[in-house]
Amino acid sequence: MPKLTSPTKPAQQLATLLQSQRKRLNSALLLAVSASLLFILQCYLLASLFASWLVISQQGLAVNSDQLLNTLPWLALCLLGRPALQYYREQLSLKASQHIRSSLRVQLLAKLADAGPAKNQYGNDGSLSSKLLEQVDALDGFISRYYVQRYLVLITPLLLVGATFIYSPLAAVILLVTAPLVPLFMILLGNAAAGASQRQLQQLSRMSGRFLDLVRGMPTLQQLQATERAAQSVATAAGRYRDSSMGVLKLAFLSGAVLEFFSALAIALLALYLGLGLLGILPWAKEVIPVPYQGALFILLLAPEFYAPLRQLGSDYHAKAQAEAAIDELSPILQRQAWQHPGTQQLTLSGAPDIELQQLHILTAEQRQRLAPVSFSIKSGGRIALQGPSGCGKSSLLYALLGFVPYQGNILINQLSLAQLERHHWQQQLGYMAQYSSIAAASIADNLRLAVPDATEQQLINALQQVELWPLIQQLPLGLNTVLGERGRGLSGGQLQRLALAQLLLRDAKVWLLDEPTAHLDGATAYRLHQLIGTLSQGKTLIIVSHQLHGLDWLDDVIRLPNPAVNPVGGARYAHP
Amino acid sequence: MPTHESMSTPEPTIRLRRLLHSRRNAWLLALLLGLVTLLAAATLLALSGWFISAAALAGLASVGAYGFDYFRPAAIIRLCAIGRTAGRYAERLTSHYAALGLLKDLRVHSFNALAKQPHSHRHSADTLQRLVGDIDLLDQFPLKVIAPWLWACSLTVLVLLFWSLLAPTLVIYAAPCLLLALALPLLTVRRGQALAQQDTCTATQRRKLLLEPLSMLTSLLLWQRWADKINQFSALDQAYIHLQLCQQQLISRTALVQQSLLALSLLALLWQGSILVADNRLTVPLLLAAMLALWALHEVLLPLCQSFIALGLSVAARDRLNQLTDVSAPKQLGKPEPAAPLSLNVWQLSARQNGALLGPSQVSFNLQSGDVLLVSGASGSGKTTLLQALANQLAFSGDINLNGLPYAEWQLSNTVGYLPQQPDLFDLTLAQNLRLGAPDATEQQLWQVLDDVALSDWVKSQPQQLDTVMGEYGAAVSGGQARRISLARLLLTQRPLLLLDEPFAGLDPATTQQVLQNLLQRQRNSLLIIVSHQQLNIPQANQLRL
Repeated sequence: MPKLTSPTKPAQQLATLLQSQRKRLNSALLLAVSASLLFILQCYLLASLFASWLVISQQGLAVNSDQLLNTLPWLALCLLGRPALQYYREQLSLKASQHIRSSLRVQLLAKLADAGPAKNQYGNDGSLSSKLLEQVDALDGFISRYYVQRYLVLITPLLLVGATFIYSPLAAVILLVTAPLVPLFMILLGNAAAGASQRQLQQLSRMSGRFLDLVRGMPTLQQLQATERAAQSVATAAGRYRDSSMGVLKLAFLSGAVLEFFSALAIALLALYLGLGLLGILPWAKEVIPVPYQGALFILLLAPEFYAPLRQLGSDYHAKAQAEAAIDELSPILQRQAWQHPGTQQLTLSGAPDIELQQLHILTAEQRQRLAPVSFSIKSGGRIALQGPSGCGKSSLLYALLGFVPYQGNILINQLSLAQLERHHWQQQLGYMAQYSSIAAASIADNLRLAVPDATEQQLINALQQVELWPLIQQLPLGLNTVLGERGRGLSGGQLQRLALAQLLLRDAKVWLLDEPTAHLDGATAYRLHQLIGTLSQGKTLIIVSHQLHGLDWLDDVIRLPNPAVNPVGGARYAHP
Repeated sequence: MPTHESMSTPEPTIRLRRLLHSRRNAWLLALLLGLVTLLAAATLLALSGWFISAAALAGLASVGAYGFDYFRPAAIIRLCAIGRTAGRYAERLTSHYAALGLLKDLRVHSFNALAKQPHSHRHSADTLQRLVGDIDLLDQFPLKVIAPWLWACSLTVLVLLFWSLLAPTLVIYAAPCLLLALALPLLTVRRGQALAQQDTCTATQRRKLLLEPLSMLTSLLLWQRWADKINQFSALDQAYIHLQLCQQQLISRTALVQQSLLALSLLALLWQGSILVADNRLTVPLLLAAMLALWALHEVLLPLCQSFIALGLSVAARDRLNQLTDVSAPKQLGKPEPAAPLSLNVWQLSARQNGALLGPSQVSFNLQSGDVLLVSGASGSGKTTLLQALANQLAFSGDINLNGLPYAEWQLSNTVGYLPQQPDLFDLTLAQNLRLGAPDATEQQLWQVLDDVALSDWVKSQPQQLDTVMGEYGAAVSGGQARRISLARLLLTQRPLLLLDEPFAGLDPATTQQVLQNLLQRQRNSLLIIVSHQQLNIPQANQLRL
C-alpha cells in the first residue's frame, strides 16, 4: 500500500508549479532589471544636465542648447525604453501565468477523470467547478507579479546602492541602514499581518458562505416569514466582519506605513544631508562640500526608487496569501494518489459475462474501511441487487467494478482478473446509471447521441419506444429535437431516467451497473421503472443498488452488505422471497 | 439633506453613482487623505530637488553660506515626509472602512431585494455564487475609477498651476503632452467596457461548459466522450485567457503611450526650461522642481490606464445584480388574513412549472379544516406543481378559493405552510434552524416537536444536542433527517393549512407511521394536503390521484 505522503507546504507546491515557465519568468525579471539600469542611467543624465546648467548659470554664462542636445537622445532612450521594457515584462509574466493556469486546469481535470464517480469526495459539482475556475485563476497575481517582484526587491535596491556608493558612501550607508530596518519590520509586522490576513480571508469566506446560505434558502425564509431576521443576521455578520477586519487592517497597513515612513525619512534625511553639505554647514564637515551637486542630485533622484520595489512587494503580498489559500484548496485533488488501473489486456465481451468477487475489500485513501470484505458471484446474465445501510460501500463496490478505485481481493470477469483488463476498453462495455441521469442542456436527440454519436434517427426512435417515451416525445412539436433545459429541465425525474435507459440501450452494454436509479422517484414511478429495467435488461449481467425492492421481482438474488462499522467481515446473503 | 432621504428609502436598482452616497463622509475623507498623501509625495520630491540645487548655488557662491535660509525648506521637507506616511496610512484605513461599509450595504440591499421577490423565483446555486462575487466587484468603482481620476485631475491642475507660477511659457510647451497623457485613458472607455462585458459573458459560458461535463463525468468516461467535452471547455478556456490577454494588452499599451507622452512632456519642459534659464527668466533649481513635479505625476496617472476595465467590470456586475434583484411584484400589504376554520375550494386548477412540458390540469376538490387530502400519481403528473400552486408560489389557471374568496384577496403568509421536497437547512445550529419557524419557542417546545418527528433520540445522541451545527447545505445530516427537521420547523409555525411534499421519503414504515400519527394529532384542526408515494394509513383521508 502506498503511504500517504506528508502534505507539502503551499509555498513548495507553488514553486513546483512555476518550474515549467521559469524561462519566461526569468526573462521578465531580466527586463525588470534592465529597466532599473535604464533608470539609473536616466538619473545620471538628468543630474549631469542640471549640474552643467547650474555651473554655467552660476558662472554667469548663457546656457545654450548644446548640453541638452547632447543628452537628449540618451534621455529619450531611457524615458521611452523603460515603459517599453515594462510592457514586455507584463506580457511575459501574463503569458507565463496563463500557461501555468491552463496546464494546472488540465492536470486537475485529469485527476478528476481519474477519480470518476468518486470525484464527489472533493466537493459537489458547483464547488469543484469554482475550484477549477476561480481558485486556479487566483494564482495569477502570484505568478505574474509576486514571483518577479520577490527577486526585484533585492536586485534593484542593491544596484541603486552601488550607484549611490560611487558618489557618496555615507548616502549609501543611510540607504543601507534604513533598508534592513524595512525587512526587519516587515518580518515582525508581516508575520503578524500574514496570520491576521489569513484569518481575515477565512472570515470573509465564512461571511460569504453565511450570506450565500441564507440567500439560497430564500424561499424557505419567505415561507417562514423569517426574511427580516435573516437580513438582520446578514447585516450583523457584515458589520462584525468590518469591525474585526478593521482591527486586522490597522496592523496590516502598519507594515506598509513603516515602509512608507522609512522611505520618506530617508529621502528627507538625504535631502538635508546633501543640501547642508552643499552649503558646507554640516556640523562634522564645516566649510567642506562632501558630495558635489551632480552626485547629490543623482542620489536624490535615485532614492525614491530604492524603496519602490519594497512597497510594491508589500501590496503584492496579498497576491501571495491568495495564491497560498487557493493552492491549499486545490491540493487535495492535486495530491490524489494517481491510481492507475494496471491492466493491459483487452477483453471483448460477446455476451453477458460471469462476475465473481473474491474477498473484495475497499479502503479509503486514509486507510479507513469503505467496503468490508465481500464475496459473491453472478452467473452470465444474472441480475442481483445490493442492499445495506448507507455508508456500507454499495456505491464503492460499483466504482471498483467500473475500474475507478483500487481494491484488495479479486474481481473476476469470465474467470479473468479485472486488474488485468485495459480500463478504457472494459469501461466501454459497461452501462452505468446513477440517481441523477447524464442529461445535458441539449436536444433529446443530441442527448442520446452523446452515448452513441453515429446512431440513426430510427435507432433513437426504437430506443425511445423501448423505454416507452416515444408516444410522449412524438407529441411534442419539435419531437426528437425538443431542447431540454439545464439538467434535463422540462421532463420529470422518471422520464429523465427513461431517457438515460435509452442511452444504455443504444450502447448495447453487456453489463449494467445501476446506482440507486430510482432513489428520488415516487413509489409508483420507481415501480414502473424497475419493471421496465427488468424487461430491458434480460440477458445482461446486472447489479442494481436500491433501497426498495418494489418492482424488482425479476431479480435472481439480493446481496445484503453489512455495516462496516458494526460487522467487519462477512456479507450475508439471502434469497429473494 | 437630500442624501438622508435617499438613504432611508433604498433605490430598487443599484446605480454606480449612488454607491458613494451612503458612505459619503467616509469616502470624502478617504479621497481627501489620498490627495494630501499624493500632494505631499510630489512636494517632497520637488522641494528636495529645489533645496539641494539652491543650496548648491548658494554653496558655490560662498562655501559656508550661512545666509541661506535652510530651516524653512527643511521643515517643510520633514512635514511632507510625515504627511505622506500618515496620509497613506489614514487613507488606506478610511477607504477600507468605507469599502467594507459599502459591502455591507450592498449585501443587505440585495438580500432585501431578493426577499421581496415572489416565492417562485428560485435561483441556481451558481447564480447566487455569482451574486456574491458581483457584490465584491462593485467596490472597484470607487476605489479604481473615482479615486484615481479625482487624484490625477487634481494633481495635474496643481502641477500646471505651479508651472504657470514659475513661467507661463512652461505650461504652453509642456502641458499639451501632459494633458494628452491624462486624457489618453478616456480612449479606452469603449474598448474597456466591451472587453469587460465579453469577459463576463465568456466566464459564464466557460463555467457552464465545465459544470455540465463534471455533472455527468462517469457516463462521459464510459462513453469515451469526456475528452470531447473537455476539449470544448479548454477551447473556451483558451478564448477566455486570450480575452484576459487583450485586457492586459489594452492596459499595458495605454500605459506605454501614456508614459511616452509624459516623457515627451518632460523633454519639452527641459527644452523650454533651458531657454528660460538662458534668458535668466527661470533659475535652475526651480526648473528642477518643475521637472520633479512632473516626475511625481507618473505614478498618479498610471492607475488611470486600467480604470475603464474596472469600470466595465463594475457595470457588468451592477447589471447582473439589478437583473437578479429585479423586484417585479411589489409586496401587497393590508389584505385580510383568513380566519380558521378554513374551507378550501379548488376548481379546474391547471398549472405548469416554468419550462415544464407537463403539469396538473383541471384539478378540482373541496376541503375543510380538519380534513386530510392524500395526493398520489406517477412521477411527472404534477403533484409538486399542484402543491406549489396551492402554496401561492406559481401562476395557475382555474380557481382556488379560501373561505369563499379567491387566493389573491387574502394575505396568506401566516396561513399556508409548505414543505418542499428538498427543504433548505441553514448552516446554523439545530435550535437556530428550528427557531426560524418560531423565534420565541422554548427549549421544551423544540424537544417536543423533535419528539413528534421522531428525531429526539438522534439529537440526544449528538454531543452538542440542540446546538449541533447543520453544516453547509445541511451536510451534517442525512436527507431524511433534513426533511424531518424542516417538517419540525414548519410545525412550529402553527399554520392552519399545511402542504407537505413527500415528507416521509426515506423513512422506514414504522417511523413513517409514528411521525404521521404525531402529525395528525398535532395538526388535528388544520387542513392537511400530503403528497406521498408511500401508502399512508389514514382512514379518514380524502384521496386525489393525478
